[in-house]
Parts: sequence; structure tokens; C-alpha cells
Amino acid sequence: MSRAAEGVHILPYSRVVGQDDLKLALELNYVSPPIGGVLMAGARGTAKSTLVRAFALMVHEELPVTLPINATDDRVVGGWELDALMRGEPRPQPGLLEEAAEKGLLYIDEVNLLDDHLVNIILDVVSTGVLSVQREGLATAKHLSFGLVGTMNPEEGGLRPQLLDRFGLMVAASQLDTDARHRTIRTVLDFEGELTRKESVWLEQAARDDNARRDQLEQARDRVSGTPIPEDVVRLCARAAERVAAVGQRGEIVATLAARALAALEGADEVVPGHLLRVLPMAFRHRRPETAHGGTFEWGPEDESRVEDLFEPA
Amino acid sequence: MPAENVPSTEVEEPDELAVRLCRALVCAAVDPALSGVLLFDLEPQLLDPVARLFARILTGDPHSPGPPVMLSAASRDEDLWTRPVLQREDGGISFRMEPGPLIETDGRSGPPSLVVVPDLTRLSVAGMRAAVQLLGADVTVVEYGGLSHRARPRARWLAACRSADAGRPTGHLLDRFALRLPTCGLRLPTADHLLGMLPPSWLDIARDAQEALVPTAAVSDEALDRVHELLGPESNMRRELSLARLARALATLDGEGTATSEHCAAAARLMGLAVAEGAGRAEPTGGASGSASRSPHPSNRPSEGMGERRHTGQDIPGAAETGQPLLETEPAEGVGAGRGGVQTVLATPYPEDEAEALRDFAPLRSPWQRTAGSASLRGVVIGTRRATDLSDIAHVRTVREAAVHQRIRRTEQFTVSPVDLHSHVRASSPEHMLVLLLDHTCRGGDWDWQDTLTPFLEWAYTRRAAVHIIEVGSAETGNELRAESFAARSVLDPRILPALYRPVGRASPLADGVEQAVQALRRSFRQHGNSLTEAWLVVVTDGRGNVPLRASRTGRLRSPVGTEGVEDTLKAAAGVSAMDRTRLRVAVIDAGREPYGSLPFSLAEALGGVVLEGPSARVRTRGGGGAGER
Repeated sequence: MSRAAEGVHILPYSRVVGQDDLKLALELNYVSPPIGGVLMAGARGTAKSTLVRAFALMVHEELPVTLPINATDDRVVGGWELDALMRGEPRPQPGLLEEAAEKGLLYIDEVNLLDDHLVNIILDVVSTGVLSVQREGLATAKHLSFGLVGTMNPEEGGLRPQLLDRFGLMVAASQLDTDARHRTIRTVLDFEGELTRKESVWLEQAARDDNARRDQLEQARDRVSGTPIPEDVVRLCARAAERVAAVGQRGEIVATLAARALAALEGADEVVPGHLLRVLPMAFRHRRPETAHGGTFEWGPEDESRVEDLFEPA
Repeated sequence: MPAENVPSTEVEEPDELAVRLCRALVCAAVDPALSGVLLFDLEPQLLDPVARLFARILTGDPHSPGPPVMLSAASRDEDLWTRPVLQREDGGISFRMEPGPLIETDGRSGPPSLVVVPDLTRLSVAGMRAAVQLLGADVTVVEYGGLSHRARPRARWLAACRSADAGRPTGHLLDRFALRLPTCGLRLPTADHLLGMLPPSWLDIARDAQEALVPTAAVSDEALDRVHELLGPESNMRRELSLARLARALATLDGEGTATSEHCAAAARLMGLAVAEGAGRAEPTGGASGSASRSPHPSNRPSEGMGERRHTGQDIPGAAETGQPLLETEPAEGVGAGRGGVQTVLATPYPEDEAEALRDFAPLRSPWQRTAGSASLRGVVIGTRRATDLSDIAHVRTVREAAVHQRIRRTEQFTVSPVDLHSHVRASSPEHMLVLLLDHTCRGGDWDWQDTLTPFLEWAYTRRAAVHIIEVGSAETGNELRAESFAARSVLDPRILPALYRPVGRASPLADGVEQAVQALRRSFRQHGNSLTEAWLVVVTDGRGNVPLRASRTGRLRSPVGTEGVEDTLKAAAGVSAMDRTRLRVAVIDAGREPYGSLPFSLAEALGGVVLEGPSARVRTRGGGGAGER
């Protein structure tokens, strides 16, 4: 099913100003899908949603499979096409989870506002890997696997720990400085202006830059499985997880996968501690005990100090 | 204070404000990114004429532009996103599901829908969530009741809100309204008269913009600097972008190729933002100035051509050096009514920045659902069941059920019979609620207050009550001048136990805590209506609040505090006594600390509740109340 939508124009990924952490997390997740998804938290107006959509358009050339906060369960797990039913044709309508499994990603905008019954459905599917539908005359069970990408504004409340843990990486959108803000506004206005032109060099150049980045990501994706992870890096990751008192074991697995994806993205021969250090906040910030129970998502100097001696050269 | 107390001639020439409003609406029609218009302090009787004016600008039809979509406290998801359509056909009646009123014009040409919100603070959760999903979004995705819809949202929104209430809706929602306009004292002439004051080309461009993207003016770097300067360093990106877009829309409407800093200043004036005219600021040589010969306005400044005459800002020396709001945000008051008196109209289109009202907690979340609660027609749809009456019919399920039996029925047309009818099952609301206000500063020595709280926690557990925890005086808080709170689905929430044992901090913002409790209760009674049958407010404190309410709100503590913290607490507590006391019960658990041992009793009196003994088993009886009560 195509997710192209008429009249929808998203700022090209290569033209999104700043938010390097957000971009890196999305790219790592693309290079290594077993990471399991990305959660982006940040204040309003920090281009979180734009970035996800722009990324999907760049790598898949269509909008991501999106779960809106008020979706009904028939659209999430699947149901029947109403018009076809009226004609007497029983035609199943695939749900969003099935679509997401085809594309590998389910995007949830404002994920912290998602209704509880939908959270329960998603948790059931991502934890068991099975979508079992026994309702409205449907009786199916399918193996599904997809990553979750979510955006949220923490001002509007937190996430249940079980759902939080299902996001492989978590990043916090940063506030831009004056210069970056100026460039952002400049870029958005230029983009809107270019849309009204019949031909636009600006848009063509942005498309070329997007393609170049996509090629780099594809190459990294090809390389990633062959990028070795030395034993000492794995051990380092386990010790870092212990230092931050990470809840569960998913954190260290994801951190290792993300470090390897970063190494592949940078064209390194193998994963080094520097790669791990770079992705550590993304993998562990939402798996600390205080965060899992509704605390802050900030990864501050105190967190860094807990692990920094592990990464100092001997 | 109501606007009628303000002599209108002292506020602003009525036509000026009306024309400014009209110009703002045209800009909102031209640029889809300016689709949300928020009017502060609009007289309720003017909402309909303003909505009709907006609809006329969008459609170009002076006669019957069609009714707008009205959103209110009763708006539900299924009324907004989908629309079941019954149609008479040759063989009977057909049924199909179409995109609902909020999205029906998406992906089409022609005039967009106009959505009107008479009072933003009373908008239902479904309405607020719809606004957040649609306003200013690049794309809207709807997956509702068999409908799968993806398109760029086109609807324009017109909302009204009292500036005094601007602190109540979430910033997440308010931020989506790109265009703001204080409208206190607005006198609206006829639409013909008003539109006649605009250049004819403006309305043509507005109409063309509904069919296709219209070429827009470029925006100079200098203009962007001006935007930043006008809004100040603390402004967020959305506001800057909105102001720049508004300046661009003005330049486009004036037929300019480039929006300059003059257009930005004009845009700021249009929204009622104070504008400082920099002494050494070079006037643009082209752009707005160059348009003088083409502009029908007397002045060559884009916005002032319509006779903009703002007392605010220009008249108060030094007040607008940074483009910041000149006055604290208050509802307009008739102060200084004589000529030359200080201007008191709302001086900023962002009154929520300075608002002292307490924000709702997680207002965009659907109410917590409880398994023990009663069914409600307002809850989120979580399934379907066989219908027992014709209310709240689940159309998709009903048709699916009917489809199964078509062959057996052997009718010529698709037939829905009564046995096919299914209705929605909705998430029920909590029947019980426990609001627990914990003042950590009163927990000294070896007192384990969990023992004292156990009866209440057990009650909350057995009744499946929703729980709202408010903490005061913790050493782990991010801001010791403010209370912190969170809502939990039940007492089993893992955040509750740590909340009972936080280290003791220095400050005790009890007044803020009490006010947050009032807010939580008020919201629950409003949101859950009659389904909330019983709520307990339990306050554990020694009554010695040492942070005044103003300090909690502003984050600044001015010494000396004196008894202000205690007085504010009692004042805030009065809000509870005004609530529905047949359903709300209040208990103050006395920490029994001397001196000032009477403070918990004063608080209980203000709250209209009972006092229970805290640390010791000694039963305290004061006044005429029974054991442990007053």
C-alpha cells in the first residue's frame, strides 16, 4: 500500500538543520534494524516529526507507516474493507502493524499520548513477535517484526516502562543556538518558496544530497554484518551497563549493535571503544532506573562521570 | 475584568482592530502554514460574525459559505474524523463511511473547512488532540473506523480564548496557533464594509490560494534578524517561523518580491506585538518602501497603511527596546481611562508566557481507563458489542455483521437488520480517585507515614482508584519552589513507593501543592462527569508552608516570606471547599509538630475536611469535632 500523499511536502532530510543526534540515531537504526527503533524526545518545534518523515522519504521514497494517537484497533490489527463488504465481497483490510512489518518500521507521533489499549496491542506484538487476531470474523496469526520510531514531548507525560524499553535507542532533541535557528528558519522559508516554482535548482540539489546520503547508508548496511566487534568492546559495554545500573539486558545488546552500525557508517575496520562511547547515551538513557520510573531523560555530566574512566586509555 | 468596562475609544479605534483582524484572516487564508488563528478576549457574540467573515475570505462567496465545524467540550473522535453517510438509492438506502468534517477537504481543491473553537479552554480531549494533529502539520494520518487517510491538512482554525485563561491549555496546543490577536474592544462593522477596506487584489490572492500554491515573496536575512529581535531570545522556533511567514504573506499580498524587516514589524503589529522602531535602523530601499506607489494605503509601511495606531509600545519610553511585551498579561482593565492614560490592552499575543494559572496535568492524554468503572459515552473506543439500543452504533462492525448474513437472507439489496447492530465499547472512567499530597518536610524522626497512609492506599487499591500524587519539599526535586506531581493508573504504579520516601528538602511550597491538588480534582470532576463517584484528597503536612504561591509560579523567592506561604495555602485550599462535597472527601494527616501545631487544623478547616493523627496514637480532639476530627 502506498503511503504517498498528495500535496504533502516534507523538508528534504539533507536540509534539516542541526539535530545531529536525532539524525544519527535514525541512521544507525536503518543501518542495523535489529536495534529495534528510536524514541525521540524534545520540546515542541524541534523538527522531530519532520526528521522522521524526511528520513523515510529519503530511504524508502514514501512516508513512514504511521500510527496516529487516536487510531482504532481495527486499523491497527486489521479488519474488513467496508465498501467491499457492502458489495458483498469479504476483503480483509491489513492493519498498520502488518504494513509496518513489510517496511520494518512503525512510526508513532506523540507516542506518549497513545491510548492504553493501543499500547497493550503493540506491546503484545513486539514482545511475542506474533499478531494474533480473533475478532470480527477474522482468525489469523502472523509472525511480525518491526522497529518502533516514536516522537514525544515530555511535557505531556511519560511512557510506560515496558514500552520505553522497546525502543532500541532514545535521543533528546536539542535546542538550537541563534545561528542554527536562523539557518533553520531560512531553510524552511526557502523550501516553501521553492515549492511554488515550476523548476527548482534548490530542490534538485537537495534531492541529489539525499540520494548521496542514502547511498552511504546502503553501503554501511551492506558492511555492518561484516564489521567485527572485539571482545574487549563487548566486555566494556557490559561494564558500562553495570555502572549506569541499566534495567534489563536490552541496553547492552542495543549499544553493541549501535556501535557496530556507527563503525560501519564511518567505514571503520572494527568497532572501537570510541564508537561505543558515542552511542552509550542513546542506548542507556531510558534504561536507567530513575528514567524507567518517570524521571528525566537528560544524560548529564553525572552520567558521563560514571563511565568515563572505563574509556580512558590505559 | 470584562471588556465592556473599557471605554472603547481609549483602547483602539474600532475599525483599526477590525481591519487588523481582517488582514490576519486573509493571511491565514493565503498561507496554509498560518492555518490556526487564536483570538484573545473576543466577545462571544462576535464569534459568529468573525467566523462568517473568515469563511467568506476563504470561499469568496458573500452569501452562504456554509456552516463551520464547531468544536466544543462534547466533540468526540468519531464525530471529527469519520462521517457515516446514508443515501437513498434506487434499490433502497446505501451506507458508506467518508472522511469527517476536519479532513473532508484535504487533498481537494476549493475552499477548505473552517473549524471554530468557541472556547479553547473547554475543548474536549478529542478536540485538543485533533488540533495538535492538524494545525501546522505537514501531513495528517487518520486511521479510524476503517478509514485510512493521508493528506496535507487544509482546514483553517479559528479559536477564542480569554487571555486570563491562557495559562490553562497546554503549550503544546497553544503553540500550534500561528496567528494570535488580542481582540478586546473589537467593534466589527459589516463584512462588506470591512472587506471593502482591503485592496481587491488581497481577496483575489486569498481565493487563488485555495486552488493551488501561490508564488510567495522571498524573505531577506535582515527580516529574519528582525523577527528574532522582535520576539526576543527566549522565543521558540515555531513563533519565529510564524512571524516570518506572516511577514511573507503580507509582502506577497502587497505584490512585493521580498519580505523585509518592515514587513516583519508590520506582521508583529498585526498580531499586537509591541514593536520598537530602532533609531538607526535603515529603511529598506526596495520592498515595502518601494511598494508605496502600488500600495493603496496612505503610508508606505505595509501594515500601518491601514491606519495602525498602537499606543502600546511606542508611547512608553524605553519599554520596547527589545520588542518584549510591555505589560504583564492581564485581562484588559479600564485603568487610566482619561486621555493620555496608560494603555492597558493586552500587549502580547503570547499571554500564556506570563500566565499564572496552573496548567492541566497531561491534558492531551485520554483519561486513565479503569476496569471497575462504569460505561461512558465519552470514553475512548476500545471494542464493540451487540447493541441494546441505537446510541453509539459501531458502523463498521454492524456492516460486517450484516455482510455475513447477506447470502442467507437472499435479499436483493444489502440489508442491515436489528440483530446486526453493534455499539461501541468504550474505556470506562475511574469511579474513584485518590489525590495524595505529601509534604516531605513534615516527615522527621522515625515516623513511617506509610502506616498512616495504608488505609487510604488500601481503599485506592480495592476500589481500583486512579491516583494523583503531589509532592512538596523533596530534596530530589528539580525546583524546590514548586510542587511536583504525577498521575498514576493505580497504587501499583512503581513511581508511588519511591515518592513516599524521598529525602527531605529545605522548602515547603505547600500552597503550590494544594493548588495542584485542586487542579487535579477539578479536572477529574470535569472530565469524568458523574462517573467519578468518590474522590479522596489526603494531605500529609505540618501546615508550615514557607513558599508563597507567587514564588512557586515565578520561580523567584523574595524575602522575607513571613506568613505568606501559610496564608496562600489557606487561600488555595478554599478552592476545594467549593467543590462537590457529596463526592469529595478530604483528610489532613497532622504531623503533630510544635510549635504551630494548629496549622493542620486551619488547613483542614479551609479544605472542609477532617484531621487525622499522624505520628503518634494519641487522639487529638480540638473544637467540637469527634475523635480525630474537627
